[in-house]
Amino acid sequence: MEAKTGGKVIRVLIAKPGLDGHDQGAKVIAYGLKDEGFEVIYTGLRRTPEEIVNAAVDEDVDVIGLSILSGAHLSIVRRIMSLLREKGVEDKMVLVGGIIPAEDIPKLKEMGVAEVFVSGTYISQVADFIRTRLGTSS
Amino acid sequence: MNEYLEKISEARRAWEEGPLAKAIQKFPYLNKESSRFFTPLDIEPFDFLEKVGFPGTYPFTAGTFPIEPMAGLARLASLAGGKGEIPGAGGQTRAAIYSGYGTPEDTRDYYKGLLEQGSRGGPNLAFDLPTQCGYDSDHPLAEGEVGKVGVCVDTLADFEIIYEPYQGDLNLDRIASNFTINAPANVIIAMYAALAEKRGIPLDKLRATPQNDILKEYIARGTYIFPPRHALRLFRDSLVFITRHMPNVNITSIGGYHIREAGATREQDLAFSMAIAVEYLKVGVEAGLEVDEFAPRFTFNAFGGSMEMLKEIAFQRAARRMYARILKERFGARDERSMRIRQAIGAHIGPSSTTLQRPLNNLTRAVIGAVASALSGGRPLPFPPYDEPLGLGWSMEALQLAQDAGRIIACEARLLEYTDPFAGSYCMESLTDEIENAAWEELEKIEKMGGAVAAIENGYMQREISRSAYERQRAIERGERLVVGVNCFTGEHELEVTTNRLVPNPYDPERRERAEERQKARLAEIKRNRDGREVARLLKELEDLARKEEENLLPHLIQCVKAYVTEGEICDVLREVFGEYQAVSPF
Repeated sequence: MEAKTGGKVIRVLIAKPGLDGHDQGAKVIAYGLKDEGFEVIYTGLRRTPEEIVNAAVDEDVDVIGLSILSGAHLSIVRRIMSLLREKGVEDKMVLVGGIIPAEDIPKLKEMGVAEVFVSGTYISQVADFIRTRLGTSS
Repeated sequence: MNEYLEKISEARRAWEEGPLAKAIQKFPYLNKESSRFFTPLDIEPFDFLEKVGFPGTYPFTAGTFPIEPMAGLARLASLAGGKGEIPGAGGQTRAAIYSGYGTPEDTRDYYKGLLEQGSRGGPNLAFDLPTQCGYDSDHPLAEGEVGKVGVCVDTLADFEIIYEPYQGDLNLDRIASNFTINAPANVIIAMYAALAEKRGIPLDKLRATPQNDILKEYIARGTYIFPPRHALRLFRDSLVFITRHMPNVNITSIGGYHIREAGATREQDLAFSMAIAVEYLKVGVEAGLEVDEFAPRFTFNAFGGSMEMLKEIAFQRAARRMYARILKERFGARDERSMRIRQAIGAHIGPSSTTLQRPLNNLTRAVIGAVASALSGGRPLPFPPYDEPLGLGWSMEALQLAQDAGRIIACEARLLEYTDPFAGSYCMESLTDEIENAAWEELEKIEKMGGAVAAIENGYMQREISRSAYERQRAIERGERLVVGVNCFTGEHELEVTTNRLVPNPYDPERRERAEERQKARLAEIKRNRDGREVARLLKELEDLARKEEENLLPHLIQCVKAYVTEGEICDVLREVFGEYQAVSPF
């Protein structure tokens, strides 16, 4: 399946910020997006916002997918968005997945998160969302 | 094959070709696998004493104990004569429900409240992630996580505060405590020992269960610090120290359930848990102890975690039998207490079986897990409360519903009146054999690699679990694995059922907001007031001792925590000596 933007394969960074070690979701989405034709980089556990943003820049990814289940999503995402702005790479698409209470979803979107995917999401929904937004659904 | 079985075989053939074939013809969506029927042919050869035995005796297939203690709940309730309040079953000393909020003061106040309501249980502590990962509350990696998902513990002072309400007839020799801690478990064990020594309570009077199951952290849950081989040395230190000085403290609480939640199949759950248990047992034997000296102090957190009720009942039976066989046949245990799987709850579903969609359905799911538990020789404790996947913490309403569902199963449905009611069932015995055989096969594969540690170091267990998790997700997306309200029976005319959270949570949100700031301030104060030179000396000595493989670090850790050396400082020294675990790539 095509997963390209501007002629090149879309690169996705899947990251686990914070100390939480529940990484089933992160790994499943990493495997799934790879099968959907994306290039996927997985950071592993316990990454700081700085490490994640640096990895996103170094790996020149188009999308940053954050998996957060610990309840620390608001402070982590706020920090990551401000680091992206500092580095001048706020054009990267940021997605959040995990256990996110419904009332926090608008708050995350206000910070600049493109979409929040909660439990019950299909991998194909995430893949389609990225393709549509990056204009390669052809 | 004897004449009797031949007759059954013939009758089966006639049934398949006749009535069964006809039924399948009539309903085209049915096939042979839609509903399986078992006969004596499926369990040949069957030796009752070898395969099942009596409850509480080898091979423990029918149950860990002769009678499940909760089976007395209905009787206790009727003795209370319809007057409501009843005491806990059988005067057991158990820890309270898993809890831990914000700072030690917040958690202390929560337990105070529980005690005022008549609870007699000791703390069952959930620690925040910095504590679980060996970082103090003032560490940059702890930012935003202090006091979340559990209480923060940096120094012995924090333990002193948490245990303030536990005095007199609730002192440390009268209660049981539970600590969900793994990588830095020895520091927490040292704090409990130090607290007891300061209160003049002999260590052999302490009752506690530290989770202390580090190996599953590398394949599930993820709160590891050191490379597995060094972690096993720390495990040896606590195993030996507990065996010699704290005979009423459990050494470990091995968690199959975490492995299942990380995505393992039923067979992987059983095989990996057993491989981990074998590794721990070897540690004790290699330290020069007799297996019967320490194995009775091994416990299990819980096994299981799926909605397939009959298979989960079989799983519990297979797990008990397999563990008993490992202890008796491989480790030469003679004491039956060594061969028992003691676990906090029996079969249950896990949070990964719950859905965010139509959350009240999760009560139905948890009750099915609890029924499976009751029918497999365990306590019917529905877990988790239905609002688990909402990410808001359990509401008091959901907790009460779960608790009452267990009571209804015991007192009204009276499911505990019969022990292992499926014993001898052609279906159940066949399923039990099937699961146990598959797990033995997988265990042998791991042993050929060199055991659980080797299978973690080479990434085998991690990758197998991740692949199973991915397979499960794909099966849901393809519609092969059904989840009601998620991939089937959904539609435009769905009711939007909301759940209320009307009963206030005991933890004040404002206190929660300021937890990190309050804890950091107090940690700074403790660091100012302690003897800095003594701390430096103790840490240097810790480093020297850690470098000597033969040394047991526990006695020295008790000295360290008494001088208010922090958990993070201790772990930093050990990180320096042992290094840190680097996870393997999932690809």
